[in-house]
Amino acid sequence: MLTILDNFTKRVHGFFQGHVYRNYLLFGAAVMMIPLMHNFGIIGSGTLGIWAYIVIITVVALGLNILLGFSGLISLGTAGFVGAGALGTGVFLNMGLPFELAALLTILIAAAIGALIGFFSLRVEGIYLAIATLFVGEILRQIYTQIEIFGGQMINIGAIRFLGFFTLNANPPSERRFLFVIIVAVMVLMMIAMHHLVHSKTGRALLAMSRSQAAAQAMGVSILSYRLIAFVTATVFATVGGVLYAVYIQNAPTTAWTLDLSLFVIAMVVVGGFKSIYGTFLGAFIIHGIPNLILAELFGDVSYIFSGVLIIVVILFYPYGAIQVFYDVRKWFHKGRLKLTTKRSDRSA
Amino acid sequence: MKTPLLELNQISMTFGGLKAVNDLSFSVFPGEIVGLIGPNGAGKTTVFNCVTQFYKDYEGDVFFDGLKGKVDLRTIKVTDVIDQGLVRTFQNVELIPDLSIMNNLLIGAHKQFKSRLIDHLFNTKKARQEEARLSEKALEILTFLKIDHLKDFYVKGQPYGILKKIEIARTLMSDPKLIILDEPAAGLNDRETDELEALIYQIREKYQTTILLIEHDMGFVMNICDRVCAISFGKFLAMDTPAKIQKNALVQEAYLGKDD
Repeated sequence: MLTILDNFTKRVHGFFQGHVYRNYLLFGAAVMMIPLMHNFGIIGSGTLGIWAYIVIITVVALGLNILLGFSGLISLGTAGFVGAGALGTGVFLNMGLPFELAALLTILIAAAIGALIGFFSLRVEGIYLAIATLFVGEILRQIYTQIEIFGGQMINIGAIRFLGFFTLNANPPSERRFLFVIIVAVMVLMMIAMHHLVHSKTGRALLAMSRSQAAAQAMGVSILSYRLIAFVTATVFATVGGVLYAVYIQNAPTTAWTLDLSLFVIAMVVVGGFKSIYGTFLGAFIIHGIPNLILAELFGDVSYIFSGVLIIVVILFYPYGAIQVFYDVRKWFHKGRLKLTTKRSDRSA
Repeated sequence: MKTPLLELNQISMTFGGLKAVNDLSFSVFPGEIVGLIGPNGAGKTTVFNCVTQFYKDYEGDVFFDGLKGKVDLRTIKVTDVIDQGLVRTFQNVELIPDLSIMNNLLIGAHKQFKSRLIDHLFNTKKARQEEARLSEKALEILTFLKIDHLKDFYVKGQPYGILKKIEIARTLMSDPKLIILDEPAAGLNDRETDELEALIYQIREKYQTTILLIEHDMGFVMNICDRVCAISFGKFLAMDTPAKIQKNALVQEAYLGKDD
């Protein structure tokens, strides 16, 4: 019996230690099952939109994790770039551009603004950088609400024609299963790209830059280049999140991109886990999912009080992010296995 | 007469009103182990920072006859100094705590990676091959330093002796012609210091490199160095073999004070 159990645990461990792609794909597949759960009546009809928002905001938070977790830089302007993604796509679509081109143009423009911030970041550090990016976010928000091409209240986007002929479905929000699968697929791709990035020369250089600027420079890491890379990557992730928002929600409001959103995204990174890709999703789930999916049903309007308490508890016990829970579980698992095997060898001896 | 590898020509560096380095000249020849000594605050680390271009506004010139021929280092950016075959360590170990030892070594090879951001995002064949090739090189160096069994551990939590070794290992990743060590023996116990001594000889032999070091442990300096340069309050006192430096009246005065 013990041998079987031991073999099984070894197999499980070996499986997850295997290829990186497989873990991300399995994770994506699991998230894609969520609409199916709706079909079986396990989750309510309104919840698919909340899950979609978690997926979208995870992409945004991944970008911020590159800044905050790896590069030691901060941005309070994230919301502005998510807005740029959603509204930019809307504006270009209204101009009659095909979706792919609209999304690409939006991302390129946002990346250019990101590069500009990266350039400025050489002159300002820490709290000053936070304040500077805060006002970048504010400027973007003012632009969205004041300038006419953004349509005042919102831009209606509607169903998106993909590749010019393939119309993504325009069902009511609770029925957007196909769209949901697409945004999860994009999230998984972004996760894999980030995995590669942080395990490469670039990722190491970003860490070196934030942990010891002197050592980084002595080893040939140009602070300017890597600050630019950090801000451009973070901006592109945020903008892709915005494009996904446009695709799924099918309209782009002009007033939603406030400081609140930027702060929530920071909270997701901190609560979920610095430098952790799965942790970022977990953070998005804790910050957005738990109050809206679970607590709202239990407590109604006061759910945010409970989620606030929950987040404080998580930070108290897991200051390096909630993802540490899983590391603890893994540790117990290995300890348990070790105990089992030593007991057995004692008996046989 | 051999041509010098590193040549400092009348270097001065001022902070506010303080002259940290004052009209200092000395040369280091290929294959030497040279020590730079002086009482606390003599300006030793400032000299290193001028040589490695962390400070740019020094007076005088630093010439280096490195991998790309003789250059005036002032014309080289701080991040390009490593390309010349000139690499340094730091007084307070500067490693990346939340990266594995292996990855810390790979940072030392930063400039040898030719793949670009786009290769990294998609983990192209080029990026993978490069990573594998340089990881192998890093493993060779770790084996040489006998810390290869630790390669996958985080730097955080390693004992100080190991940290010092990792920092030296990182310098070796760039195939240096001159390694500048800032207090390599500080914080090491006697056994570790002896080990470091042997290691520095081995490095010189195996990697055909020259070494310039700052150190307060006089026993260590006198044992290991071919020549020693002594400075005090930024000024040149003497440069000679260890035995002669020990007998030099100016050096004795700087360390022990003057007899009245």
